[in-house]
Amino acid sequence: MHREQLELLKRIQALEFTATEFNLYLDTHPGDQRAFIDFSNTVRELEQQKELYTRNYGPLIVDDTARQPCWNWIDDPWPWEIEY
Amino acid sequence: MWIYEKKLQYPAKVSKPDLRMAKYLITQYGGPDGELSAALRYLNQRYSMPTNVTKAILTDIGTEEMAHLEIIATLVYKLTKGASAEEMERAGLGGHYADHDNALYYVDATGNPWTATYIQAKGDPVADLHEDMAAEEKARATYQWLIDLTDDPDLIDTLNFLRVREIVHFQRFGEALDLVQEYQNSKHIF
Amino acid sequence: MNDMNPIMLRLAQAYVPFQTYVNRWDPMKALMMGTIFPELYRPYDGRDRRRD
Repeated sequence: MHREQLELLKRIQALEFTATEFNLYLDTHPGDQRAFIDFSNTVRELEQQKELYTRNYGPLIVDDTARQPCWNWIDDPWPWEIEY
Repeated sequence: MWIYEKKLQYPAKVSKPDLRMAKYLITQYGGPDGELSAALRYLNQRYSMPTNVTKAILTDIGTEEMAHLEIIATLVYKLTKGASAEEMERAGLGGHYADHDNALYYVDATGNPWTATYIQAKGDPVADLHEDMAAEEKARATYQWLIDLTDDPDLIDTLNFLRVREIVHFQRFGEALDLVQEYQNSKHIF
Repeated sequence: MNDMNPIMLRLAQAYVPFQTYVNRWDPMKALMMGTIFPELYRPYDGRDRRRD
């Protein structure tokens, strides 16, 4: 896996992790509007980065494959095979 | 339902194959305080939770535990990659080789298979949340003992990530417990 | 419950203080630390501390 692809993948991991943290926090603090805004902004940026990744390197979820030139969902590397 | 995302939650890596550590680390795959136990415990307990907060937190933490299960699997996969039968046997994994070759299996550090007796669903939200908080503390301690058993900085890096997740989950279960107790106490005015 | 009054605490009942969101680490730093919340980060110093 090339360095640019790995860096984009790590960026996605970081943004998705941030969204997960806000998700768990908001589950027990549903009225915290500031956390909700930060969650929403994080998810917006995450969606942009995922779209960029999918366009350049392939699908992250199976539905992404509908906008790919062919059935490349099965292509390697699978997550456990990636060397970071 | 769940949708698979073809990526790990954390960029898990190891410096080198290490069968000795794989034998210990597998306990977080199929051991009593491992990620499988956590995921199945939380995703099962949510059906008897009384409030939306507790239904949500068990669903979302249970889902994150599935991602941690995949991280542990990846670490074990990388630690055992390319190991021969002789190397497995020398590391005390001869029995594992006989039953599973290099395949992963849900066992603890001494080879005992995963069992549903590791987890409970009492139907009492306070009792269940106490179990969940204890589970997070036991998993945190397990990650600490695993960190003590290795010098691999890359492996320690990922174990540290998973260890801190246990602390965050404890906090969230604790907040959910506060809210459940408040909810129950408000229903019984003496 | 957010501003928990100690006088209101009941016996034979466990409490965890509620977190208040103040600040956060940026996404890449948060991923490395295991949380976005600095106040929830607890480092582990390893085996040396256990040998006393």
